Amino acid sequence: MTAQALYRRWRSRTFEEVLGQEHVTRTLRNALLSGRVAHAYLFAGPRGTGKTTVARLLAKAVNCLSEEGEKPCNQCPICQAINEGRLLDLIEIDAASNRGIDEIRDLREKVGFRPSEARYKVYIIDESHMLTNEAFNALLKTLEEPPPHVIFVLATTEPHKIPATILSRCQRFDFRRASLGDLRRKLNRICESEGIVIEEAALELIIRSAAGSFRDAESLLDQLASYGDDEITLAQVQAVLGTVSAQAIEKLVGHLVNKDVAGGLDLINQVIGDGVDPRQFNRELVEYLRGLLLIKTGNRASLLNVTAEALAEMEDQARQLSTRALLRTVRLFNQASFDLKASLQPQLPLELAFIEATLGEDSVAEEEPVSEAPQKAGQETPSAPSPSVTAPTVLRESRAVEGTRAAQAVAADASPSPPSAEDTLTEGETLPASGVTLERVRLNWARILAEIRPHNRSAEALLRSGRAEAVEGNVVVLGFPYAFHKERVEEPKCQALVEQVFSRVLGNPCRIRCILVSKNNSKSTRQPKARRPEPVKVKKERADGESQEDKYRAIAEDPVVRAAVDKYGAQVVDVQ
Amino acid sequence: MWQVVGHEWAVELLERSLANGRTAHAYLLLGLPQIGKTTLALNFAQALNCLGEEKPCGQCRSCLKIAHGNHPDVRVIEAVNGTIKIDQMRAVQREVALSPHEGRWKVYIIRQMERATTEAANCLLKTLEEPPTQVILMLTAGEIDQLLPTIISRCQVLNLRPLPISLVREALEERWEIDPEQARLLARLSGGRLGWAVRASEEAAILQKRERCLNEMIELMGQGRVERLRYAQRLSRHPDSLREVLDLWLSWWRDLLLVKGGSSTEVTNVDREATLRSQAQSYSLTQVRDFVKALRAAVWQLDHNANTRLALEVLMLSLPAPST
Repeated sequence: MTAQALYRRWRSRTFEEVLGQEHVTRTLRNALLSGRVAHAYLFAGPRGTGKTTVARLLAKAVNCLSEEGEKPCNQCPICQAINEGRLLDLIEIDAASNRGIDEIRDLREKVGFRPSEARYKVYIIDESHMLTNEAFNALLKTLEEPPPHVIFVLATTEPHKIPATILSRCQRFDFRRASLGDLRRKLNRICESEGIVIEEAALELIIRSAAGSFRDAESLLDQLASYGDDEITLAQVQAVLGTVSAQAIEKLVGHLVNKDVAGGLDLINQVIGDGVDPRQFNRELVEYLRGLLLIKTGNRASLLNVTAEALAEMEDQARQLSTRALLRTVRLFNQASFDLKASLQPQLPLELAFIEATLGEDSVAEEEPVSEAPQKAGQETPSAPSPSVTAPTVLRESRAVEGTRAAQAVAADASPSPPSAEDTLTEGETLPASGVTLERVRLNWARILAEIRPHNRSAEALLRSGRAEAVEGNVVVLGFPYAFHKERVEEPKCQALVEQVFSRVLGNPCRIRCILVSKNNSKSTRQPKARRPEPVKVKKERADGESQEDKYRAIAEDPVVRAAVDKYGAQVVDVQ
Repeated sequence: MWQVVGHEWAVELLERSLANGRTAHAYLLLGLPQIGKTTLALNFAQALNCLGEEKPCGQCRSCLKIAHGNHPDVRVIEAVNGTIKIDQMRAVQREVALSPHEGRWKVYIIRQMERATTEAANCLLKTLEEPPTQVILMLTAGEIDQLLPTIISRCQVLNLRPLPISLVREALEERWEIDPEQARLLARLSGGRLGWAVRASEEAAILQKRERCLNEMIELMGQGRVERLRYAQRLSRHPDSLREVLDLWLSWWRDLLLVKGGSSTEVTNVDREATLRSQAQSYSLTQVRDFVKALRAAVWQLDHNANTRLALEVLMLSLPAPST
């Protein structure tokens, strides 16, 4: 004979025994006392919080025969029949396997019959979110006005899947996750009655890993109790859950503080090799780091459930890490928890996060070459604003782009004569540093567009259609092929923004003036360079005898280059 | 005797629960493929129905029948055409209600539960919560994330972790009589999955393929864009074996990461350790880390239906060339 699982044997038998759902039980008991029981209920809530249990309790209570005292009495024949699962008038339907319209039609036919022995027929429709749409609709009329002797209870973990027409016909009760205290009380009660001896720390760990579900906690306790030893120890719970000792975590953070890559990698591999579950490991590591963060931000130990000794060690480590580094580390390992899939190298995300964390802030710059370039450019203009303006663009970059960026970097490295990107950039930019010149405007065109974009997208789009035609003193002349575009840019609000950005990017106060250029005209300016067949040759010829500046101007006007600058935010780095 | 190698805590737990008469009605065995989940489940089924003294004896009629897959009370349910369907679950529900034919227990082993359709999984819920007496359900799955939380909370969860490498090596040497050097390599490559190691020892093609892939990758590192793009194109033509190749690359680059990080942990590709060490000289730690990230990104993209060739091309271009 199999022993019944603890969670089945210890289903609450009275409303008092139901823990953590007072808001539900109190309402139901009052309804019972005043005789105002509704004809349809919906119980919603996470798994293992007591939905089915309360539904059965309700069935018992409405049918209980006892004259006085609180119902259910658990003494009368009806209560006992329900407890043993043999009352004909309690109909528990598993909606997940009887989900079609036919089953519901069948139910509707039988609803009309009087109960056989109890006062009410109670239909418990469990997992009701799995009913098909048609089935729900077939149920609507019955649910709205059932015969007086029928009570419906719908239970579900996913109330959002229940149609609104069903919801509005039911009294809805939301079950909450059990608190740690409630879980502890319940487990203590079970342990006492079952004669299970358990270490305090082991109990604590079970409760914490149950995530607010009674059934999870009870299942785990059950599993450990079946070891059959005298006492359930912390080590046993750790073995089953695959958790790690607190010392290992502390040691790993120690390696992190000391930036000891080798030591950290060794430790991670050793711990995983010992059979620790990488997820558990990561979860506890994040928990620990969160503790450090709390200490760092001045929260007192009351929030942390640790011994004084461990606390001293944590405080020491917290001192050695900056808040910023700590935040970054927490984020890295938190991210790792999403990546921890069962794979051939389960520890890889942990290793990566660890290396990343030890590499520190310096590596951030390397990671984001795109943000680096504008920063460099910004340095030479004294009144340059904070480079954070580029941040939104960087954030928007998708993961896929990261790959391409790396690819670009590689491509740049691999090119035959590699003048590093930064060198030429600063060289090129220092030349015309004073005053506003046409080619400075054109060189910085992409940056200007990028800076306008966050403020006003349509302004950016408008500017894209135009181009800088000339510079007169500190007035930039912008040419537009269409009057509409020109007028829009000339609107005071737009013009003010554009001028502001121009001034900021170029480092000199600028104004703008818009002119209309005929399409032919603008074409003709582009035409010489648009000779597709031999653009390379054109560039070469021009480049031969001319100064660096001219080369830049020439290249910036090349239609292909211009397209690259405008559309992809490229920058002219070098002309060969 | 239990046939399972390793997983002592799980075996002990099952054994004791059997001895104390406290078996659960549903178990969920989690772990990587070929780690021993079904082996353990079948073994437990034998133990439950064994007629001999020391359970499971592996000798009695019942044990032999289970081992040969023709015991009427032990059923293995598997995905058909990639999924477990609701009809299969309904069949289980029907059968479960009948009492055992000849054994003491009816055991239903449902393999790869993550392949069950949502309907099928939900259909099993009630049975899983309160099955008839004398029925034990054993579910296996790779990833806990892919299962309904309502399924998980109804089972006793046994999360089988990869075996220690040394244990796989010993088992290979002793039980399968593989020569020590080969056993060492297979154990390392298996990542703690005994089932894989045994299969690789039987099918030479697996190791040959690995050898070929590694050589190609090492060659590719020194080559230019044309060769890389060509290789990406070639790989993208065989989407089935793609994952394997990327896993292999990942193992290699993780090794580099370990070597570069100065860790004393033994690398996965033990037979090529010399190459690894020399390669580590020509890369920086950030380069290695970036490429590991790129690899993982590629795996992620391929899992999410990205254009295979494009994802591979990007990956190939980000393969860092060794600095000399």
